[in-house]
Amino acid sequence: MGGSYEVLSPWAEVDPVPLEGISPRLPDLRGRRIGLFHNGKVAAAPILDAVQAELSGRFDGLTFARFGRSANLEVAETPDRSRYEEWVNEVDAVVLAVGD
Amino acid sequence: MYDTVFTERLGRPAAVLVNEGFGFDARSAASGKGMPGVRVVAETVPCECTMPGRITSGVRAAIDDVVAALTRPLSQEERSPATRRADPTDGVVFKGDLQEVQRFYYRRGWTDGLPVIPPTEAAVQEMLAGTELPADHLVGRMIPRLGRVTVRKIAVNAVMAGALPTYLPLLVAGVEALLDPRAAFGTWEVSTGSWAPFWIVNGPIREQLHVESGTGALSPGSIANATIGRAMGLIVKNLGGARKGLEDMGVLGNPGKYSMVIAENEEANPAGWEPLHVQQGFRRDESCLTVSFPNTYLQIWPYGSDDKGIMRAIGANMVPRWRQLTLLVPPGHAQALADGGWTKEEIASYLYEHARVPAYRTPEFWGVPSIVHRGSRPPLNAEDSVPMLRRPDSLRVVVAGGPGTFMGLAYGSSGWVTKPVCLPARWESLVRTYRGLVPDYLRY
Repeated sequence: MGGSYEVLSPWAEVDPVPLEGISPRLPDLRGRRIGLFHNGKVAAAPILDAVQAELSGRFDGLTFARFGRSANLEVAETPDRSRYEEWVNEVDAVVLAVGD
Repeated sequence: MYDTVFTERLGRPAAVLVNEGFGFDARSAASGKGMPGVRVVAETVPCECTMPGRITSGVRAAIDDVVAALTRPLSQEERSPATRRADPTDGVVFKGDLQEVQRFYYRRGWTDGLPVIPPTEAAVQEMLAGTELPADHLVGRMIPRLGRVTVRKIAVNAVMAGALPTYLPLLVAGVEALLDPRAAFGTWEVSTGSWAPFWIVNGPIREQLHVESGTGALSPGSIANATIGRAMGLIVKNLGGARKGLEDMGVLGNPGKYSMVIAENEEANPAGWEPLHVQQGFRRDESCLTVSFPNTYLQIWPYGSDDKGIMRAIGANMVPRWRQLTLLVPPGHAQALADGGWTKEEIASYLYEHARVPAYRTPEFWGVPSIVHRGSRPPLNAEDSVPMLRRPDSLRVVVAGGPGTFMGLAYGSSGWVTKPVCLPARWESLVRTYRGLVPDYLRY
C-alpha cells in the first residue's frame, strides 16, 4: 500500500444557524386543551386515541383537539400550514404521533 | 419530526411519540432543523401497528413519559442549546497510505462500504474541470442535516465514487433534482420503505459519457452507470447526512442505493414515441437527468411476442400497491407495441383503465391508509374494481435493454423529476479527454 495521500473531507458544512430552545413546559396538565396531531400513518391516529384515553383517566378537565396531516410532507410546507398555525394557537400543548 | 419542531416554534410544548427504534433518527432530524432539545418519547408500539391491544399497552407504558415531556421544566441545555461541535470540513483531514485512507473513511462513516478513490486536492481539482460553476457555488442545502451542497463537496464525493470529471454536470443536475420539492426527497431518502433513487439519462450526453442503455445496463460493469449513482449515494450520505440505520431507516434497505442508473435508448423509440425527457417537457437535443424513487424492481417476460402478449403480461404482473411505475421496455418489444398501434401515452392510459384488481387487494380496503391514496374515499365493496395505477399518467415507458424478451417494472410512489444538464463551454474538449476510457474485453 505504498504512496501517501493527503485527503479531503466529503462531509458537508452546515450553516452556523443559532440553535433554538424548546418552548416552556406547562406546570400541570389539569384543565388543559391538548392538541393531538397525526401524520396519517395507520397507527398514528389509534395511538392518539390511546393517549387521549390515558390522559383523560389521569387529569381532570382535559379537552382535546385533533389535526391530521393530509399530505406526505411536513405540514409547514403544505397548504395546511396556516390552518395548523390557527389550530396550535387554540391548544396548550401538542402530542404528535408518527405511527412508526 | 419536522412537524414537532414547527409546533415548538409556534410556542407550544410538544411531545412526539416514536417507536423506540427511531430515537436516533428523530433526534438527528430535530438537530438538523436547529432544535436538538425536542422531547422525543420512545414507545414500544410496533411500527404501523393495527393491533389495538398492542397500541393500548404500548401507549400506557409510555404515558408517564408523555406527561413528563409536556410538564418537566426545561434544563439549561433545552432552553438554550450549546453550539454544536463542528466537524472540520475544509482542508486535509487525513494523511496515509491507500489502506489507511480506506479505513479512516470507513470508520468515519463516509463510505458506502466499498473502497473509495482518495479525494486529494489534485483529484478534486481535476473533477472540478467538469463545470464552470465556482467551487463554492451553493447548489442547495440537503436534508436531514441541511448540509451545504457546494460544487466542491459534490466533487469530493464524486472522486471518492470513482466518477470522471465529465459526470460532474450530471451530479449537479442530480442534486437539483433531489432538492426540487416535487421529488419529495425528504420523504423517500430516509423512509422505512427503502426507496432508491432511479436515475435515467436522456439526450446527447448519454453517448458522450457512454451511459449504457443496452444489455445489462443496470448491472455492474460500466463506469458511468456505476459511479454516477454511487456518487449520488455518497452525496446523500455525506452532504445530506442520511446514514443507514441512523437517519436512513429503510427496513430492509435496497441494493439500488449503490447505483441505479440507465440511459434511454432514444434511437430505438419507434416513430411517434417520445423519449422520457421530451415527455417531461424538454427538447430532444437537451441532455437531461430524471429521478424517481422506486423500491421494487420486477422483471417479467411477455405472454406472447406481439403487442397483445406484451400488454397482457404487463397488466397481469402489476401489483396494487405503489401505483407508480417506470416500465423498461427493450427495443424489440417497443417496436412490437408500436406496430400494434400503441404509443407510450396509450400504454399508460390503457393500463390505468384496464389493469385493475378487486378492492380487497388494496391496503385502503383494509383500513390501511396508503401513502399514495391518503385522503381519497376508500372503495365500498370488496369486489369493486379499482385501478392499479394512481392516475393515467402514473406510468412512464422507457426504452432500454438488450436483445431478449424480459421487461422491467420499477415500482414507486413518487413522480418523475427531470432537470436539464448544464454543460461548460469547453464541453466537447472535455468529452474528448475522457471518452476513450472504455473496457477492452478480451475474447476467449
